[in-house]
Amino acid sequence: MGKASIKRSKLARYEARLAKIYLIPAFLGLTFLTYLPLLSVFALSLFKWTAIMPKPLFIGLGNYIRLFSKDMFFWTSLKVTIQYAVLTVVLSIAYSMSMALLLNRKIPARGFFRAMFYVPYIIPAMAVYMSWGLLYNKDFGVFNALLAQFGFARIAFLVDSKYIIPSLAVIAVWTSGNLIVIFQAGLGSVPRVYYEAAEIDGANFWMRFIHITLPIMSPIIFYNLLMSLIANMQVVVPSLIYAGSNRTTYPEYTFMSFLMYRSGFINNEFSYASAISFVFFALIGAFTLVLFSTSRSWLFYEGGDK
Amino acid sequence: MTIKSRKRRERLGDAISFTLVCVFVILVLFPLWWIFRSSLMTNPEIGSLSFFPGRWIFDNYAAALEVFDYFRYLKNTMTILIPCVVFGTITAVMCGYSFARLYFRGRSFVFGLCISSLLLPPIVTLIPLYIGWVRFLGLGDTYWPLILPYLTGGGAFNIFLVRQFIMTVPKELDEAAKIDGAGTLRILVQVLVPSILPAIIVVALFIFIGIWNDVLLQTVYISDVNDYTIALGLKRFSGSYGTDWKLAMASTVLSILPGVFVYLIGQRYFVEGIVMTGLKN
Repeated sequence: MGKASIKRSKLARYEARLAKIYLIPAFLGLTFLTYLPLLSVFALSLFKWTAIMPKPLFIGLGNYIRLFSKDMFFWTSLKVTIQYAVLTVVLSIAYSMSMALLLNRKIPARGFFRAMFYVPYIIPAMAVYMSWGLLYNKDFGVFNALLAQFGFARIAFLVDSKYIIPSLAVIAVWTSGNLIVIFQAGLGSVPRVYYEAAEIDGANFWMRFIHITLPIMSPIIFYNLLMSLIANMQVVVPSLIYAGSNRTTYPEYTFMSFLMYRSGFINNEFSYASAISFVFFALIGAFTLVLFSTSRSWLFYEGGDK
Repeated sequence: MTIKSRKRRERLGDAISFTLVCVFVILVLFPLWWIFRSSLMTNPEIGSLSFFPGRWIFDNYAAALEVFDYFRYLKNTMTILIPCVVFGTITAVMCGYSFARLYFRGRSFVFGLCISSLLLPPIVTLIPLYIGWVRFLGLGDTYWPLILPYLTGGGAFNIFLVRQFIMTVPKELDEAAKIDGAGTLRILVQVLVPSILPAIIVVALFIFIGIWNDVLLQTVYISDVNDYTIALGLKRFSGSYGTDWKLAMASTVLSILPGVFVYLIGQRYFVEGIVMTGLKN
């Protein structure tokens, strides 16, 4: 017995050492690509450092003061980022949930349709925005061709400040076919008996959706809501493509990530860009916390726990 | 009678759903058709409402290849993509295996750190990483800053995915192999890898998508035109005023094709993988 336990502890020690060897990549990644850079973002934000300065100069909260009180773009950028993210998340969840519900009916060629909805998701971002750049174009785009056909004035969807954010949101919704697949899989796991019981009680489609589908799907919806919110708040590619070449960009394109990109990589103000990054990090953290803390009241887990 | 009427209503619902699905699929696919049709037209014709090109000008593609250095861009993209997919997948499997099967003190803490890093938006750390790669290590204008991060397990999410899958494999399987004298590496390669192969393919596909989709990191780290990837090459069309749309669209179609090809091969795994991302939490 004693011998066996010594042997086992030896084995355990050997195993622990092996575990750490296998985990070297993760250790390196977590240290040098995640947590150390996160600390550095905060540290850097307390300095003044541009590409031409040989050494950073400590200025305390100076960058934050400049950001909150002097940067004319910051508050706009906060506004448009939240507008875009909320609009996009709400629309894409509504769209993909509806499509998943439709696909969940007894219809022919379901797999084919699902695959078709999913196609935009595999198109690389650059190609997506190039394509929509044409569709939305004032002179060559199909939407404007239609408007002109019916005698309406042409609209510069990607330039006119009223239309920029909704137009970008449509693009994001178009590429959200992955959510349809997720929701459809979730719907498939709802026990049929629930619906059958509800039907015997005379519940119509809408009541079944509200009282059965939605509660059972709530953890999946919550997870996808959180993940797409975080992803969409980081929006930067449309700005790089549609507004990147102009130094004086439209306020609707100065999403927070783009503000950070412009400060860091075009104006070469590393430390100021770090301050923006850190504020952005705090903002996403706050959103995540709010979502998590409210989730208790509307999340439903099977087994009766609320 | 009620059953009959309910059945009829059910069938009507199915019919309406089918019609709606058809309408939406057409709407979703419409932009793709429009790009393809535009890539075969003259510029003035692109602005019209015609659904088909009057004459199918395939020469647009030849003309596009003159300004859009497709094969060079494709080669450059592959130079980044292949090592990332190969080494990212291997390291993700190693780390996922360790988290799932090998015990050491502090494992749950390290795993917690790994999982919390999922909530950290990658864009937040872009500036210090850039300074690190370019200023400290002097790797500006090389592909290393794009490749090396994938040697660290291909991201926390992929490690997590592999771990979840290894945990569903019965432990008796490794125990049996262990009794037969197999070491951990042999257990991993000969017992676990075959049984979680779908998850491994999914990880590889996710790494592929991540790089294939990337615009920001490539914009930040690559500045020499000779090193441009497909995304950066395509981006050159967007910068200029008076875009030559027929060439831009032909190039766009060319840049979509390799991804569609990979999708057609791995479609089953794509769908499986997407389901995993949304349901495993």
